[in-house]
Amino acid sequence: MALAMMEVGETREIRAFHGKEEVKRHLQDLGFVKGEHVQVIGENPSGLILLVKGVRIALNRGLASQIIVA
Amino acid sequence: MSYTIALAGNPNCGKTTLFNDLTGSRQRVGNWPGVTVDKKEGTYKKDKEINIMDLPGTYSLSPYSAEEIIARDYIVKEKPDAVIDIVDGTSIERNLYLTLQILETGVPTVIALNMMDEVEARGDKIGAEKLSETFGVPVVPVVARNGKGIQELMEEAVKAAKEKKPPKKLPIFDEKLQGAIDEAKKLLEDAGESDSEWKAVKLLENDENVAGQVTEELKKQIDGIVAKAYGPEADLEAVVADQRYQYIAKVVKNAVKKGTTGHVETKSDKLDKILTNRILALPIFAVIMYLLFACTNSENFLFLGINSPGIWLAGIVESIWERLTDLAAGVLGGASPWVYSLVIDGIMEGLGAILGFIPLVLVLYILISFLEDCGYMARIAFVLDRIFRRFGLSGRSFIPLLQGFGCSVPAVMATRTLESEKDRKITTILAGFMPCGAKLPIFALFVSTLFADSNQTLVTYSLYIFSIVVAIIVSLLLNKFVYKDGASNFIMELPQYRIPTLKSILIHGWEKVKGFAVKAGTVIFVSTILIWFLSGFNFGSFNGTNAAENEDGSVMCEMNDSFMASIGNVIAPVFKPLGFGEWRPAVGVVTGWIAKENVVVTFAQLYDEDVTDEYLEEYFAQYSPEELEELGFEGGEYDAEAAGDIYSESVLFEGGDENALPHMKDDIKTKAAAYAYMVFNLLCMPCFAAVGAMKRELKTWKETGKAVAVQMVTAYVVALLVNVAGGLFL
Repeated sequence: MALAMMEVGETREIRAFHGKEEVKRHLQDLGFVKGEHVQVIGENPSGLILLVKGVRIALNRGLASQIIVA
Repeated sequence: MSYTIALAGNPNCGKTTLFNDLTGSRQRVGNWPGVTVDKKEGTYKKDKEINIMDLPGTYSLSPYSAEEIIARDYIVKEKPDAVIDIVDGTSIERNLYLTLQILETGVPTVIALNMMDEVEARGDKIGAEKLSETFGVPVVPVVARNGKGIQELMEEAVKAAKEKKPPKKLPIFDEKLQGAIDEAKKLLEDAGESDSEWKAVKLLENDENVAGQVTEELKKQIDGIVAKAYGPEADLEAVVADQRYQYIAKVVKNAVKKGTTGHVETKSDKLDKILTNRILALPIFAVIMYLLFACTNSENFLFLGINSPGIWLAGIVESIWERLTDLAAGVLGGASPWVYSLVIDGIMEGLGAILGFIPLVLVLYILISFLEDCGYMARIAFVLDRIFRRFGLSGRSFIPLLQGFGCSVPAVMATRTLESEKDRKITTILAGFMPCGAKLPIFALFVSTLFADSNQTLVTYSLYIFSIVVAIIVSLLLNKFVYKDGASNFIMELPQYRIPTLKSILIHGWEKVKGFAVKAGTVIFVSTILIWFLSGFNFGSFNGTNAAENEDGSVMCEMNDSFMASIGNVIAPVFKPLGFGEWRPAVGVVTGWIAKENVVVTFAQLYDEDVTDEYLEEYFAQYSPEELEELGFEGGEYDAEAAGDIYSESVLFEGGDENALPHMKDDIKTKAAAYAYMVFNLLCMPCFAAVGAMKRELKTWKETGKAVAVQMVTAYVVALLVNVAGGLFL
């Protein structure tokens, strides 16, 4: 499923990214790699606040829906 | 022997704090990723032979953004003697990702494990010795904020720079990948390329920047290696990233002992629950913005009936300047008329107009700095993202636009932290629409003289709203017709909330205002003299005609016959449809391009002829002795000598009198025209200093020209609409 559909408090594993190459590269640099755990710790109309490798990262929903988790 | 040591690390990891510690310099530090947007150089305060280079924060050495390219080019091409890699201990895994890439470049490296106080507070333990053993480079725990461990760190860094020993090779990649790297490396070496190991990895990752540096044939051969090992569709970049993180995970497991397992809710998380809450976030933001502007520019601070800190400071600066002007006038009493005129009417009056609102800008920037340093600004950007997205921008554009309320120059510079080129270009244009500090005196003068019988506060606020509405419309139009490459994403690290140190906020605020003050001392200083010259002289000044005609033998001429009048008369017709097609308002627009402060200075100088001694005496006759004393007349008694200065300082620049500059009304006849004039100055090309900043961000004069053209057309069209519509309804 898409990361955008996760609920607050949920933790899942990153599987794939469907989007532009350069965005993918940036996400990788920030720790979004296949197999990494990602937890949703907050959400508001702008998007989600995630915890990846112990760092809080805010993502807009459009981008979050391109990240596939399981 | 002198050495260069570069500081590298993730955004917001404490690099700039460390840089300030080491160099004793006062660079601004923010709790906002992307504070250092360019590299900065300084010397180590304990050894002037050692140069310290502060690089912009980056998450990796792949060229994703402008800052990353600066940092990477410096490390790879300029080759510092050593790099201090600053690792934020509170997010060690993510930070070590950059560390691995720095080590790969082969540059001598020392790792500074920063924020160790916060790591300990969490109950975590990081084994610096174990990390050092694994990476083969020194690892020094530090707390940059209080200087702990810095001495030892520098000793290690200097040692590394002297020894020049490249770090050992780490077993990061698996056999298959390492095999491919070795093959590519051999090809590069045979072709005589330097840094073959680093380039080999980058080429396998399909890094366009590095690919451009080698021959086409070499690139093809390397693509062949990838295809042979991983198939033709392989994405090695993901493989490389994945293996780096796996390696880091192993290292961290071995060297770091977590005090707790899983994520524990921190204070920052609790604050975020409120400050980014889906319902509360925007109201809280609105209150904070209200407080920000109330502190800066309010004569009824928090409804307490007192001046805000900004206005209060401005009053002090103005009264000091008044005394200096009096002093200069006294000293120059016996000098020739044109020297007196140059110093008092030109320089002192011109600079006084600007000094008066430097305090406003300073207070605004100190408060913005506080919001940035404490970590709230990153949240605002996120919360506003949804709204900004509707207008075709990212929430990150908010910071440059807010800074635009102070001064366009730092506002334009701040666009560098925006990731998408489209956002950068649009925000650069929009920043020029904001009512910067220098535009406020224009509003004050116009509102007090030409809107005397209207609700003046409402008129002033309406201009703020105007700038925002125009910015939104222009952004939508640019998105629709010019920059069509779709919506950009919002990805931003939300730093921990921290209470900023007073020192850092003051430095940070001052850094911004410094540019502004320098501008006052140079550009505006020169342009005041220029305006004074152009408006007091003509050809007759130089062929003796004026000297022969004037009773006192002065070579100066009447304003109406000056060079300035000639210039103004040429351009004035352009502004006829906007309602102000006379030479003096036209000159005001032009001098405003040199610096917006000049608009009011120009008005004061050009309409000065109205202010005769008789006029002044009549004017001040309306006041009681108490009021006269309040205005600055000693003992409440009218004094013809002081009257001129008091008139320009307390009546013109402060606003507040409808009868100031009586002849302004002959040139700008209707309220619609007056509003159009304010709107035109609000939206048209910002000052030259800001245009210079735009050129630095947009790179080419062509792009800068396009941006300025958008601003000019917008200003003209909107002012025209205001004048026409106003003429119909008012």
